[in-house]
Amino acid sequence: MTATQALSAGGTLAFTEEHEELRSVVRRFLADRSPETEVRRLMETIEGYDPVTWTMMAERLGLQGLLIPAEYGGASAGFVELQIVCDEMGRALLCAPFLASAVLATSTLLAFDNPRAHETYLPRLADGSLIATLAMTEAAGSWSGTDLTTCAVAVVDGDGDRFELTGDKVFVLDGMVAQLLLVVARTDSGLGVFAVDADAPGVAREPMSTLDATRKQARVSLQNVPGTLIGVDDTSSGPLSAALDRGAAALAAEQAGGARRTLEMAVEYAKVREQFGRPIGSYQAIKHKCADMLLEVESSTSAAYAAGWAIDEHSSEAGVLASLAKAYCSEAYYHCAAENIQIHGGIGFTWEYPAQLYFKRARSSEALLGSPRHHRELLAQRLGI
Amino acid sequence: MYDDLAALASTTDERQFAERAIEFLSRNVERRVDQTTSWGTGPEDLALFHETTDEEERADADAAKAWQRCRWEAGFGWITGPPEHGGGGMPQRYDSLYRLIEVAFDVPDMSPLRLGLGTVVPALVTSGSTYLLDRYAVGIQRGDIIGCQLFSEPEAGSDLAGVRTKATRIEDGWRITGQKVWTSNATFSDIGLALVRTDLDVSKHRGLTMFVIPMDAPGVEVRPLRQMTGGASFTEVFLSDVQVSDDLRVGDVGSGWRVATSALSKPMRRSLTRAS
Repeated sequence: MTATQALSAGGTLAFTEEHEELRSVVRRFLADRSPETEVRRLMETIEGYDPVTWTMMAERLGLQGLLIPAEYGGASAGFVELQIVCDEMGRALLCAPFLASAVLATSTLLAFDNPRAHETYLPRLADGSLIATLAMTEAAGSWSGTDLTTCAVAVVDGDGDRFELTGDKVFVLDGMVAQLLLVVARTDSGLGVFAVDADAPGVAREPMSTLDATRKQARVSLQNVPGTLIGVDDTSSGPLSAALDRGAAALAAEQAGGARRTLEMAVEYAKVREQFGRPIGSYQAIKHKCADMLLEVESSTSAAYAAGWAIDEHSSEAGVLASLAKAYCSEAYYHCAAENIQIHGGIGFTWEYPAQLYFKRARSSEALLGSPRHHRELLAQRLGI
Repeated sequence: MYDDLAALASTTDERQFAERAIEFLSRNVERRVDQTTSWGTGPEDLALFHETTDEEERADADAAKAWQRCRWEAGFGWITGPPEHGGGGMPQRYDSLYRLIEVAFDVPDMSPLRLGLGTVVPALVTSGSTYLLDRYAVGIQRGDIIGCQLFSEPEAGSDLAGVRTKATRIEDGWRITGQKVWTSNATFSDIGLALVRTDLDVSKHRGLTMFVIPMDAPGVEVRPLRQMTGGASFTEVFLSDVQVSDDLRVGDVGSGWRVATSALSKPMRRSLTRAS
C-alpha cells in the first residue's frame, strides 16, 4: 500500500492527544536534564553523555525501548512516537548515544530476522544497560555500502555465524561509549552485519575531533576481530537499507526539531533587539528571513513525520519518503541555523551564545547518514527516475 | 624580472616612482612565489579570521610595524601624507600604484596595522589638530604606534549612531565611560579611535564626538571575545571613568558622526584598490 492509498483508506496524519502528551513529557524531562549548561559540559567530555540521564531515560520514560517489541522489554511503540522523541532531543541538543543505540543499532537488529540476536541484545538495549552503534562508514564517508573495504572471513571450524573482521571504520557515532558494535562488512554473499564486542582483542578505538561537539564520533579499527553474523543483505532494498531509512527518518525529525528551535530563537530576538529605535523584527528584511524559516520548519516537520507515518503503515513508499525527508530537512535545518545567526548579528557569532551549537549540529547532521545529494539520488532511484 | 611591475605605471612620473619602489622592495624582500591556484597543492588555510595565540599576534604586529618603519625610511611610509608631517604629498594614484607593486613581494601581513592606517589616520588627517597629526598620525605611519577602532557597542551595531558610551566634561578634559565591542587588534593597540556621546539633549547623530584614547590609560580594560570557531579574533573594551585631556578630541564637539563617516569611507576606497 502506498502512503496515498493508506490516507484514502481512512488513515490520518495528525498528532493524537497521546502524541502531544508524549511530546510534553519528553520536553519537560529534557528541560530538566539537558539545559544548555549541561550540553556545554558534556560537549567537553570524551564520552559525550550523562549516564544518570541515560538511565533515567530508560527507567522513567522507556525511551531506549520505544522501537523494541514488548516481548523483549520494549514499548512496541510506533515510529512516529520515536520521531516525536527525536524531535524534542534535537530541540534540546541532547548529548546522548540515542540515535546510535536506540535508533540505528536497534533498527538494524530488528531489520534482520535473527531471534537469537534479538534475545541476546534487545532486552539490554531496551533497559539502557547496553549501548550499541552501527559501524558502517569508512574513510570515504559514504553511506551507500557499495565501496566498503572491511572484510569478514568465516572461521573455518565455526558453526557458520562466527567470522573474523578486518578493516577501518570512521565517523562511528558514539563509538567510544558503545559496548556493542554492529559492523557492516563484505562477505562472499553480500554485505554482512556482525555483532562485535567493542572490547574484543583487535579493536582499537580513538575519538575523532568533530565540528559538532554535541555528537561524538570515533575511529574504530578492526584487526582479525571475532564477530557474530547478524544477517546478510545482498540487495539494495534489504534489511540494512530499511534500517538506514529508519535512521534517516528519525534524524529528519531531530533536524525539524532543531530547526524549529532556531526559528523560535530568531523570532524572540527580533522582537526584543532594537536598532534605529525599533525592534529589528519590524524591518522587512528580517521578516522575510523569519517567514522563509517558518516555511522550511513546517515543511520539514511534514516531511519527517510523513516518512515516520509511512514506516508505521508499512507503506511501500517509506524509503522514498525517508530519503525525501532527510534531503529536505538537512538543507532546511542548515539554512535556518545559519539565518538564526544572521538575525542575531554579532552575538549570534559568539561562543557563549547557543546559536553556534545549532549551526554545528545542523552542519554535521546534514552529512550524517548521507548528504542531501545522496538522498536525492536514492529518491530518484527508488522512484525509477 | 620586474618589467611586469614597471608596466603598471602609465606616465613618466609614475614610471620613475615605480622604479624607485621596485628598487626599494627588491633590495629588502623576495618576490612572492607565484600562487596561482591549483587543486591539491598549497596551504589549506581558508580562515577569514586567523586564530592565533596572543604571542603570535604580538609577533605578527611587531613584524608589520618593522616593515612599516622600513617603508617610512625609504619614503614609502605615507605616500599621500602632508609633507609638513613627513608625508610624500603625492596623489592617491601613487599610493595605489605602490600597493599594486608591493603585493608582488613577500612582505609581512600588514593586517595588524590596517585599522590604524585605514581609519585612524584618515580621521586625524581630515579632522585632527596639528598636535594629533604629529603625535599619532605620524606615529602610525612610521610604524611606531598601532591604532584600533572603538566604534561598535552592544546596543549600537548597524545603528552606529546609537552609541551610549558617554563623555562628560571635567576640569581639564573629559571622563569617558561605556563599553565597546567587536574591537579588532585591541590587545596590542596603543591607541583607540573612540566614537562617544557628549550630548544627550540633541538628536543622536549630533550628540557624538570623536576622541583618541590611549589604550594604557587607567580604566581601559580589554577582554577577549571568543567566537563560534573557538578562537578570539575580537575583543570587548570596557571604559570605566577613563580620563582624557581635551587635546585628544578629534574635531569639534558634536562632529563625531561626520568624522566617523569620513574615516570609514577611506578603508572602503583603499580595499577597492587592493590588487589581490
